[in-house]
Amino acid sequence: MRKLILLTSFLSVFYISAQNKQVLYDFAELPQTLLLNPAVEFHGNFHIGVPGLSQLSVHGGLSAFSGYDLLADNGVGINDKIRDIYMSLDKTEFFSFNQQMELLNIGFRHRNGNYISLGYYQELDVLMKFPKDMIDLYYEGNTVLNRRYSVDKLAAQAELLGVFHIGISRKVGEFTRIGGRVKVYSSVASASTKRNTGSFYTENGTDNIYSQHLSHVDLLLETSGVQLPSDIEVDQSYIQSQFLFGGNLGVGIDLGFTFQPKEQWEVTGSIQDLGFIYYTKNVESYRVRGSYELEGFQLDFDPSTPDTYWNDLKDNFEKRIVTDTIQSNYMNFRPTKLNGSLTYSFGRKRRDDCTFVNRVTPYTHKVGAHLFSRLNVVHSYVAATLFYERRFGKTLSTKVTYTADPFSFANVGLGISARAGAFNIYAIADNLLGLRNVYDMQSSNIQFGMNFIFGAY
Amino acid sequence: MIISPKNISYFVLFVLCFACTEPIDIDQLDEASLDSSYLFTLIHLELKAPNFLDDFNQEIPVTSDIISIPGLDDLHPYLKRAEFSVKTENSFDRNFTLNILLFDEEQNLIYTIQPVITVPSNSGELIHSLEIPENDINVIYHTRYFGMYMSLWDSDTGEIIDVSDTSELT
Repeated sequence: MRKLILLTSFLSVFYISAQNKQVLYDFAELPQTLLLNPAVEFHGNFHIGVPGLSQLSVHGGLSAFSGYDLLADNGVGINDKIRDIYMSLDKTEFFSFNQQMELLNIGFRHRNGNYISLGYYQELDVLMKFPKDMIDLYYEGNTVLNRRYSVDKLAAQAELLGVFHIGISRKVGEFTRIGGRVKVYSSVASASTKRNTGSFYTENGTDNIYSQHLSHVDLLLETSGVQLPSDIEVDQSYIQSQFLFGGNLGVGIDLGFTFQPKEQWEVTGSIQDLGFIYYTKNVESYRVRGSYELEGFQLDFDPSTPDTYWNDLKDNFEKRIVTDTIQSNYMNFRPTKLNGSLTYSFGRKRRDDCTFVNRVTPYTHKVGAHLFSRLNVVHSYVAATLFYERRFGKTLSTKVTYTADPFSFANVGLGISARAGAFNIYAIADNLLGLRNVYDMQSSNIQFGMNFIFGAY
Repeated sequence: MIISPKNISYFVLFVLCFACTEPIDIDQLDEASLDSSYLFTLIHLELKAPNFLDDFNQEIPVTSDIISIPGLDDLHPYLKRAEFSVKTENSFDRNFTLNILLFDEEQNLIYTIQPVITVPSNSGELIHSLEIPENDINVIYHTRYFGMYMSLWDSDTGEIIDVSDTSELT
């Protein structure tokens, strides 16, 4: 069992990651880029994603170590490797996991030139931050007197949800586009714990050798859709209904812009998932709070007194450390993502193809820089990317990225988008340098999808 | 042209062909262990003269107390060794012996933690170290009662403890 737990932890390294889609951002006029910046100019009149296959993305990363660090067959003992990993840990480490599957993605150009897109996708998002104090307590024990093991930085959020969205990309000036997207979230299951406080410590006692303390503990775990009433049968139709607006509902928006200060220069920016979910159904939260000091049992050596030491201790503990089960509604903000980029396009312009519309055709080469930030009460982080994008006529576009993020300072990504008529297929992966040893990857990011795009040039 | 669709295809194939893994050994997880040490504060006592006298002010040779505890099965098989530190201070003019005994569910004696502690008369602060070694640690999982047995040694002079004696054994 222990082996299974350790192995599961190890495997999770490969399925958890950041949520930065640095290769997809502003890439090859794919309709999926509209989900990252709703203002992007989409070079088509109509698109429809292949249902269920228009975007399948899995991102993963663990900031602390890789599976290879732990399991390398290199003659170093497993306990020495665990020790080395432990010694390398920072004050806080985190892991995140994000998976999305697009079930519907469709868009069309309105007569006034606006591009309207809508769709639905399923998302599983997990982010957990764990303080080193807790690892120290687990790894070394509590033999260091007066050392405070704090839970202040312990935070986690997990959410399984469906998202319906509709957005518009609109040209508002000769060089400026703005875009917006409205989202309705339907949460199937959620668990989150934030703003935990308290510490545990041991010091020299007065009545006993040691005195142990739980000091100002305040822990809150909020869940919805996890504890279900017994009359609910969890089957396919129930899950479907929860994904399709039967779950806990929320709203959010994406906003974006693109601006060309000069013909070959472009500045873009977007904010995604500025919104919240309000939990009212199948809500159950747990709060633990209080302070407690223990110096052990005071034995009275009185044969006439019944032995109630343990129960007295338990009662006293429960009186001072109170655990409440709460059924009240609560709200969580969605993890908000920020994107910004500066690009310079150059190279041979493709010729206009004699259409009646005087289109501005894309350049062959594009270089630029992209900044990504995820803002969340659990954990926030930033990633910076340099990229080069190359178009080969209508049929093929490629993009190479170099990203520095909390998982790696040398994350090389590659995206390829190909078209055959209206059919478009794309594949994106990052951390290609990690392919030298797949087990040594601390993060991975894979996206794949197929679309039909009409009227593109 | 260096960057062409054909060359990109070759590059992707090249990358995929050279994606590889270094050898790993999952079985080594069987050898993984953590040697954490945890301190727990357990009991304390403060015994005065009446604790060693009966209703007729006659000395009781053995004073005892028993603590029932919840099952410790959850510790199995992670607990390797249990060490106990006992700090004593005795202002009585008498020696004591302290036995810490473990009993099972039916209150049968299953173990005596070694060594048995001798608390000398008029002794200041003394620290005694006791241990349940790795070979005997399984007794912990069957333990449901801890017993503290305090034996009062006979006086060399034949004196008995006076009920008004303010001495303490802690």
